[in-house]
Amino acid sequence: MSPSVLQRIASGEAAAVRECIDEYGALVWSLARRLSRTPSDAEDATQEIFLDIWRSASRFDATQGSDKVFIAMIARRRLIDRLRKTTNEPPMDPVEALETVAWSDPGTASEVSIEAEQATRALNELRPEQRQVLELGLLHGLSQSEIAARLGMPLGTVKSFMRRGLIKLREFLNVDAESVSERV
Amino acid sequence: MSEPGSQGQPDDATVDLLVKQVVEGLSPAEQRALDAWGSVAGRFTRDFERAAAALSLAAPIDAQLPPGLRARLEQGAADYVASLSPPAERQPGATPTPRQPVATAPRGSGSAGWGWLAAAACLLLAVLGWVRSPHTESPAVLAVAPPSASPPTAPTPEPTPPTPAQELAELAAKADTVKVVLAATKDPAAAGVSGNVVWDPATQKGFVRFEGLTPNDPAVHQYQLWVFDAARDKRYPVDGGVFNVPANASEVIIPIHAALTIHKPAAFAVTVEKPGGVVVSARDHVVALGAAS
Repeated sequence: MSPSVLQRIASGEAAAVRECIDEYGALVWSLARRLSRTPSDAEDATQEIFLDIWRSASRFDATQGSDKVFIAMIARRRLIDRLRKTTNEPPMDPVEALETVAWSDPGTASEVSIEAEQATRALNELRPEQRQVLELGLLHGLSQSEIAARLGMPLGTVKSFMRRGLIKLREFLNVDAESVSERV
Repeated sequence: MSEPGSQGQPDDATVDLLVKQVVEGLSPAEQRALDAWGSVAGRFTRDFERAAAALSLAAPIDAQLPPGLRARLEQGAADYVASLSPPAERQPGATPTPRQPVATAPRGSGSAGWGWLAAAACLLLAVLGWVRSPHTESPAVLAVAPPSASPPTAPTPEPTPPTPAQELAELAAKADTVKVVLAATKDPAAAGVSGNVVWDPATQKGFVRFEGLTPNDPAVHQYQLWVFDAARDKRYPVDGGVFNVPANASEVIIPIHAALTIHKPAAFAVTVEKPGGVVVSARDHVVALGAAS
């Protein structure tokens, strides 16, 4: 199997640094738009994220997950850090975002990545309200308090839904990873 | 919150912190509470981050990079690649080094705003114009190798690239560059430090010159340059790169590698950080500061 763009960056291949933008620009930009206060913030964040990606490429381990998950992890970490350090304004265009962004149909999620397919399968085992809480928090960048206010739900319930949802997903991903390991 | 249990499994309250960490981030106090779990928290953090990232991928990727942003990213890629050029082409230990994998930014450390800068403002009263000759650098100036005598086997020597000192002088001679005098802070490590900055907003290129900066062991700590951009949140200066000061260097000249576009340079600062630098400085050791007039 040919090395991924991240592995080529880690090995010092200059062309791969720019190819990384071509390959993952849309992914990073989509995440940045959803989890930034303003378009300007999203642009700054995208620049910072790519710098993080290039510098962190040597830490990418293909046996631990796909390159897309690695990049999404770096992007989310940076975006959440930026969100925390700014004011308590909601991310940009929240109403529009809530109407237009949702998780993919399970039938098409596998086209994105194996992990996305696993995530969608895990989501399908959650109750609708649990799924909605995760959606608001992870896709739209709302805090747990904001989710509670938006849904008219006690904060403790939001925390409980979040906890159960992520634990279930973690179990899904770990089980799949272990079954892959057993097959290798 | 309870202490880590013998089974190494966090309780519900700790899991709530782990969840909050990947959804919205933690306050410093919450982070400290989670850190008490050590490697257990680390393992769960990675798992939850991975789970959150996987869920993010399940949403449609619905936007293409704006052309302007793509151009800036491509410029950033070129700058990053340039920063990785073999060190043999430069004087050892002097050029900003490529950063190590993402340093963990301390959360919630940005509330000080301009306070740390204002605290040292009195030191900037000594701001004076400065003129630097390109021919006065000491032997320790950080630069590419000076021109050597024409080698006998090379009938047409290639043009020698300018030294950082020459480039700094050329920038300083331009009318539209920003020139800032750097002054030492009260940090013990700052004793005797002086310097200046030249920054060209048009080309986003600049240099910092220091005298009296204590040589550092890169395995222990590195210096990190920060650029305050008036067009950005003042709590978060732009990373200008990490650098080292070699032993016996009386003067160093450092090219500035700003991680982001600098729209309105307002001030420059140098901190002492862990090897590889940090994303957000705790500002425990600020050794030089200078504000643009």
